[in-house]
Amino acid sequence: MNILLVEDERKLADAVAEGLQGEGYEVTLSPSGEDALSSIRRVHFDLVLLDVMLPRRSGLDVLGDMRRTGLNVPVLILTSRDSIEDRVLGLDAGADDYLVKPFAFVELVARIRALMRRNLPAAPSSLRLGDLTLELDGRTATRGGRKLELTAREFDLLEYLMLNCGSVVSREMLAREVWKQVMRYTPLDNVIDVQITRLRRKLDGDFQKKLLHTVRGVGFVLREDEP
Amino acid sequence: MLRYTNVRHRLTLWYVAVFGLMLLLFILGATMLEYWQLTRQMYHAEIQDVETAEGLLAFAPDGRLVLHEEYHNYPQSILLLDRYMEVLTPEGHVLLRNNKLQGRDLGGPPFPGEGLASYQQRSYHQRRVRLADGTRLLLISHIHAIGSQPLLIRLAYSSAPIEHGVLQFVSLLLLAVPPALLLAGVAGYRMARKALQPLDNMAQRAETITASDLDQRLPIENPNDELGRMARVLNELLQRLQNSFETLKRFTADASHELRTPLSSIRSVGEVGLQRLQTPEQYRDIIGSMLEEVTRLTEMVDGLLSISRADAGQVVLHRTRFSALGLAREVVALLGLLAEEKGQQIQIEGDADLSVNADRVVLHRGLANIVENAIKYGPGASCISILVARTGNYVDISVEDRGETIQEDLREKIFERFFRIDVSRSRQAGGSGLGLAIAKWAIEVNGGSVSLQPGQHGGNLFLVRIPAASSGVT
Repeated sequence: MNILLVEDERKLADAVAEGLQGEGYEVTLSPSGEDALSSIRRVHFDLVLLDVMLPRRSGLDVLGDMRRTGLNVPVLILTSRDSIEDRVLGLDAGADDYLVKPFAFVELVARIRALMRRNLPAAPSSLRLGDLTLELDGRTATRGGRKLELTAREFDLLEYLMLNCGSVVSREMLAREVWKQVMRYTPLDNVIDVQITRLRRKLDGDFQKKLLHTVRGVGFVLREDEP
Repeated sequence: MLRYTNVRHRLTLWYVAVFGLMLLLFILGATMLEYWQLTRQMYHAEIQDVETAEGLLAFAPDGRLVLHEEYHNYPQSILLLDRYMEVLTPEGHVLLRNNKLQGRDLGGPPFPGEGLASYQQRSYHQRRVRLADGTRLLLISHIHAIGSQPLLIRLAYSSAPIEHGVLQFVSLLLLAVPPALLLAGVAGYRMARKALQPLDNMAQRAETITASDLDQRLPIENPNDELGRMARVLNELLQRLQNSFETLKRFTADASHELRTPLSSIRSVGEVGLQRLQTPEQYRDIIGSMLEEVTRLTEMVDGLLSISRADAGQVVLHRTRFSALGLAREVVALLGLLAEEKGQQIQIEGDADLSVNADRVVLHRGLANIVENAIKYGPGASCISILVARTGNYVDISVEDRGETIQEDLREKIFERFFRIDVSRSRQAGGSGLGLAIAKWAIEVNGGSVSLQPGQHGGNLFLVRIPAASSGVT
C-alpha cells in the first residue's frame, strides 16, 4: 500500500512516515504542492495525505488541481484549523476525509484504514478475539462461554474496540464513533474513562487473561497478548 | 485655494461673513427707505409749491402770463429758489419758463392726460425727467385754470440734494462696516476659541494616553454641554477599553502560567527519563505520561481557541429549533454515568414543548460543562436537579447541586478563564480551568446568559437562560 504524505513540517512528516511504515505502509514524502502534483502524475498512490497549510500553493489548491485533471486517488486532508468552514471547504474541494492537527497517530491510522476499507465487502456478523465472541446481529457478547451483561453503550464500545482489535483507539475516536459527538470535550473524556473502567470490570474482571488495555497518553486497545 | 482646516478659523470666518452680509443688507434697506422718504418729501413740497405758484400766476394786461415773484422776498424753503417751472397750454404751447430753466425745455410736449393723473385723488402727476444738460429732476404736473384758460403747470426740483444726502448717509454707514466686522471677527474668534478650548484640552490629554496608562481620563469642564457629554462618552469608552485590556492582560498571564504547567512537566519527565538507561516498560510509562500532558495542552489550546473565536465574533452558528428539555435529557444521558459513579441522582423535569432556537452542538457543550461541574463539586450520594421552565421570552434551564455554596463575591468570577476557587483541588479533579468559561461563551453566543445563585437547599444553582424560539420559526 503506497501513501504520499504532503507535509512541509519536516519533523512531523518524518514522525508520521516512520509510524506509517511501522504499520506496514510504503510512504513517500513530498514537501510542497508542486512536488506532490508531479509525483502523483508519475507514480500510482493508493492514498494522499495532504496538509492544507503548504508554502506557496495551499493544499486545497493542489487538491482542486488534482480533481480537475481527473486524479481520483483518495485524499485525506490534514488541517490545523478546525472551523467548520474549513472542513466544508476541504470536502467541497474533493477530499475524502479530514483530520485536525494536532491529531493522535492512532486516529490517523484508523482513518487510513477506513478509507482503504471503503470498497471491501460488508462487515462480518460476528467478531472473535480469543475466548471473546461478539454476535453483532443479536448484540450479545460471550466470554469463555459465559454471557456478558452489557449495556447498549458498553456493547457499542466493545464492538468498536473489536473492529479495531490490536490497534489503539483514542478518546477522540471513541467520542465520535461510539458516543456520536461532533465535538470532543473534557466532560466526555471523563465519561469515556468511566465507561472503559466499567467495561473492563465486566470483560476482564473474572478472567486471568486481560483483553482491554490502557495505553497511557494515547488511548485503549483490545488484544490478547500483554503489550 | 486656502483651506481652513481649523474649526476655530472657520467658525470665525462664517460668523464674520454672515454678520457682514446682514450689515450690508441692513445698509441697503436703510438707504432705500431713506431715499424713498426724501423723494416723497420732495414731491410733497413740490405739490405745496405748485399750489402756492398757482395763486401767484396771473395774465398780465398784455396777455402774457406772469408769476408774482416778489412774494419770494422771504423764501420759505431753500428749495423754492431752486424751483424749475414751466407753464404750458394743454396743447403744448409754452406760456412761461422761469429763469432757472434758462429757456430749456422741461419735460417736453405734454402727453395725453398729463396733470390729470390721479395722485392721492388729486390731479397731480409725478415723474422723473432729465434736462438737456443731464440734471435729474423730480417733476410735478398739474392742470390749473386761470379764468377760463386751463394751464398745465410743471414744477420740478433737482434730485441732486437727495442723491447727495443718500450718498452721505451710505458712506457714513459703510464707513462703520470695517470696524464693526473687525470687532465681530475678534469677538467671534475669541468666542470660538473659548468654546473649543475644552476640545483642545481633551485632545492634548488623549494624546498622552497609551495602553500602559489607560486609567487616565479626559478633563470634563462642563458636564452639561455637548463637549462635556462627548468627554463623558469618551471616558466611558476608555473605561471599557481599560476593562478589556486588564482582562486580556490577566488572561495572558494566566494562560501562560497554565500552559507552562504541562510544559514543565513534559520537560522534567523527559529529562529525568533520559538521565539513565531505563527498561522498555519505564520508557513506555515516561512517554505515556508526556502524552497525557500533551493531551492536556491540546485541550487547553482548543478551549482557548473556541473562546477567542467567540470574543472575536467569528463563531458561525448553525441554529435549529429544538426542545430545551430534550437537550437537557441528552446531556444527562451522556454524563449520567459520572453521577452514577458518585452515587448521585440527577432529577430532570420541565415542559418538553419549550423550544429554543440555537446551535445545538455549541449549547450542548455549554450545558454539559455546567452539569459536569455540578457532578464534580456535588457531594457523593446527593441530588442534582435540572428544571426547564419558561420565564418571559426565555427558556430557563436551572442546574442545582448540593455542593458547598460559592461565596457571593466569587459568583461572577467562576466564569472567568482559569479562575479556580481552590487551585489544588480542581487540578486534582482534572479541570483545565476553562470548563465554565467555555460554558459561558457557548451560552452567550446563542444569545443567552448564565448566572450563579445560591441553591434553595444549600448548594449552587446555575441558571442558564436561552431566548425561547418564537412560534412559527422552524
